[in-house]
Amino acid sequence: MNINLILLKNVLVIPELFIGISIIYLLLFGSIISTYKTYPLIQKLILKLSVLILIFSTYLVFNDQLLFNNGNLIFNETIICDFLSFSSKLLISLFSLVCVIMIKYYLIDQKINQFEYLIVILISILGFLLLCSSNDLITAYLAIELQSLAFYIMASFKKNSSFSVEAGLKYFILGSFSSALLLLGCSLIYGSLGSLNFEDFKLLYGSFSPEFNSNFEIYGSNSTIVLQLGLIFLLISLFFKLAVAPLHVWSPDVYENSPTSSTIFFVVVSKLGILVLLIRLFIYSFHGFIYTWRYYVVGFAVISVIIGSVTALEQKKLKSLLAYSSISHIGYILISFSSGTMDGLQSLYAYIIVYMLAGLCIWSIFLILRLKSFYFKKQNKDLSDLTLLFKSNNIIAICFSIVLLSVAGFPPLIGFLTKMGIFLTAIESSMYFVAIVSILTSVISTFYYIRIIKILFFEKFLVGNLFYPIEYTQTLIVITSFFLFIYLFINPTFLYLISYKISLLSFC
Amino acid sequence: MLDSFLYQICLDNFLFFIFSIVLVISALAIIIVNNSIYSVLFLVLNFVTSASLLFLLECEFISLLFIIIYVGAIAVLFLFVVMMLDVKVIESSKDLFKYLPIGSIVGLLFFIEITSVIYNSFLASPYLTKAAGIEYSNIYYNWYSKIDVLTDINSLGQILYTHYLLQFLIAGFILLLAVIGAVVLTMSNNAQKTKNQVFFKQISRSSKNILLV
Repeated sequence: MNINLILLKNVLVIPELFIGISIIYLLLFGSIISTYKTYPLIQKLILKLSVLILIFSTYLVFNDQLLFNNGNLIFNETIICDFLSFSSKLLISLFSLVCVIMIKYYLIDQKINQFEYLIVILISILGFLLLCSSNDLITAYLAIELQSLAFYIMASFKKNSSFSVEAGLKYFILGSFSSALLLLGCSLIYGSLGSLNFEDFKLLYGSFSPEFNSNFEIYGSNSTIVLQLGLIFLLISLFFKLAVAPLHVWSPDVYENSPTSSTIFFVVVSKLGILVLLIRLFIYSFHGFIYTWRYYVVGFAVISVIIGSVTALEQKKLKSLLAYSSISHIGYILISFSSGTMDGLQSLYAYIIVYMLAGLCIWSIFLILRLKSFYFKKQNKDLSDLTLLFKSNNIIAICFSIVLLSVAGFPPLIGFLTKMGIFLTAIESSMYFVAIVSILTSVISTFYYIRIIKILFFEKFLVGNLFYPIEYTQTLIVITSFFLFIYLFINPTFLYLISYKISLLSFC
Repeated sequence: MLDSFLYQICLDNFLFFIFSIVLVISALAIIIVNNSIYSVLFLVLNFVTSASLLFLLECEFISLLFIIIYVGAIAVLFLFVVMMLDVKVIESSKDLFKYLPIGSIVGLLFFIEITSVIYNSFLASPYLTKAAGIEYSNIYYNWYSKIDVLTDINSLGQILYTHYLLQFLIAGFILLLAVIGAVVLTMSNNAQKTKNQVFFKQISRSSKNILLV
């Protein structure tokens, strides 16, 4: 037995272990307390405890940074701890912490009283943390399964709503289909290479193209075709999870019909983990095959940018509009991903951080605006529910409009810089057509962001809607993320330093 | 050439050919047969033959897993579900001719593509080159005479509990999550509500009133 396996010094998965153990304790605690004589509701209690767990795990992630500057491999080289995994784990745990704080009043309003909801959320976060640091295909598959199973349960958690059940079922069927594609790709890769470890992939195909190398001639010219087929299967299944355009059909339905407290996790947290896996697979390990996979990535990116921008024009519900806008954002991210260069990776990471921030701000405003109406349970807002928000709650309206302008890419906000970075990488890697198409569609997409602002400010109604007052901590979060948009434009050094360090370390 | 081919069929791969022919025929029968109970039974036959194919390749652990999980659990579950649901026997010939041309063309194209890719790429492996003097065939080796005696389960366990410890824990968490999800999504809190028989609803349910979508 290998003694290194058990040494605590080498175990760099302490935040994951902490979350896992505390999930089990929380489950025991909740199931004992909630079946007590009087059947007390312990939703708030469990929510506060899970916030505490997430704070501790964020600290543990942050505390680990001194141990690994050059990438440590543990658990038989299946777990990697480098700067990419460190920063994405930190981002995921921070954002999920904020999301858990934001969903408090939604859970009370909607009477989602089972305490298991928060445990399922914690398990999905555990899956994302494992996905960010996984270094082989088995671990990545297991982490994706953990995360997506938790998401299916979260989507269908409101049992008395048939919309929610439909969303969960749809998500489950399509997600398991894409997991099957992922497994097929893994098996094809294993069949042709005999390994599942990203380090081996990097040694084999990391830095050079096999088409120009004579060493591979002894195996015949077609020897890498099975490998490339497996890579395409992997790419398509991961695009399914990311909801990239031709495979996006599930996402607006699922986002709209599942409870909003789940949707905020689907939008904000879920994209980063899968993008980290994409970076590890296609830029870190299989960079030699860039001439094979980049065509697919570019095609999917352009289609998703166009569909995400054009289809959102017709949406009347705020949630499905935001779902289509997230599809187009994933398209922009994939444009810079397809360049495969260091600049592309840098602009990708800067864009995904700003995307998560904007998603957090928009969806938390969506969550904290609770309509004062007869039908008080209504949470799925039409666009017309927001009429004249400026008169009833002007600060929230200003925050909302500034964030929407940043998402659209208006100059004195951080969204402009990151979007420009995407277009510049597309031009630098001489994808002129892609750059022109994406710039034009970003002009189209500006229309519907501005239409929301028009509804907020300039609608010709005498009375708007009234909303319940908002709690202190939630306003603090919204205002902080609002000021970050302006601050990051004045001083984007922080953002670009992190993303530059990631892009440097991913190529060495 | 012909002699060696016949030799391979007759002796070495006799069981292999029998099982694979039964496998293909039963797989076809699953989708052709009208009665759904028969098709589930063909599914069981399919699993059993594929398990025995795996047995021929000496992957006894996976083949036993096939029989225990797929035949023992999943196919029986299918059978129960099919028997509980009052499924009409549908005249599928109309649908068959409606979907057959496009489906068969697409399926055939995909099949040809995959087989050509796999054939071409694995043909070039050094085991198959004529220059090496070895022709690939499904020759039976008695591996027990060549290596130490270790059963599949033993060797799998030795890897699983040492090198893949973390993955084992993640799989445990997936199972825990499945249990939590199943309990949460199916448990209903209104236990005080008495369950009584609704005669009208029960009688009015019949196979004529099924809405086939």
